[in-house]
Amino acid sequence: MKVAKCWDFGEDEQPPWPTIEITLSSGDRRATITPKVDTDFNGSLAIDREAVMKLRLAAKGTVLITSATGYSETPIYAVNLCQTELGIDHTIFAIGAQRSLVGRTLLRDRKWLLDCKEQRFCLLRDS
Amino acid sequence: MMRPLVEAIRTFKAGPFRSRDLTDRLGYTQGYARNFISQATRQGLLIAEPKKGGREKTFVANARIIRQVVLKGGKDKEELLEALGLHSKYLGEYVALRGFTVVDHDVDFHMLGERILARNETGDEVVITNVGVPKKILTIET
Repeated sequence: MKVAKCWDFGEDEQPPWPTIEITLSSGDRRATITPKVDTDFNGSLAIDREAVMKLRLAAKGTVLITSATGYSETPIYAVNLCQTELGIDHTIFAIGAQRSLVGRTLLRDRKWLLDCKEQRFCLLRDS
Repeated sequence: MMRPLVEAIRTFKAGPFRSRDLTDRLGYTQGYARNFISQATRQGLLIAEPKKGGREKTFVANARIIRQVVLKGGKDKEELLEALGLHSKYLGEYVALRGFTVVDHDVDFHMLGERILARNETGDEVVITNVGVPKKILTIET
């Protein structure tokens, strides 16, 4: 098994959290962000207000979500997601959230290494 | 404005109705029915259909309000979806709506999204939402 790519933990909160880098686009607008990896999130991608504004995304609907604080309704956005190491480059529906998150749907069917000693989150591939 | 509109949609769905139908079937007074129709037409919630012959003017609910109400969310959305009869058919599911029509539905948000995107239906006509509390609800810890 080999390490294909590692991303440093995010330092913007304590304790530091794993992140991965992704590029979002809509029309001719692009934004590269490093969402927190949240294995409690059972969707693909949540994007914060800053990314929504930067990409000028328009809501394509609203869905009910649940969190530690209870139910809430959030807008959904169609956005192109590109992540080279994961071989992803297609449009998905992302949900609006207070902070950008990558969820289990995007992580599944791949092997990952959570390296808390070196504070990195790594994608593994079979050697 | 929302209450009589939802009642009109519950009763007539996307079909045409006259001022008299509101008094006969919903029990509104003539004045209330006329007032509602006048205001709702001005606000673009109802569309006046062209008169045919000497018949009384008919109105239909504007399909665009489905999108507006879904995007606004909250209690109005749930009441509207219930009035459209979606609670009895799709409770706990996600639905894709084009106006009054359900173009697709699924208990899995991700699967429904993939199909809608594959059909390239991401324009302004189609709107996606949940009906009631989804059986496979999206969960965020933070």
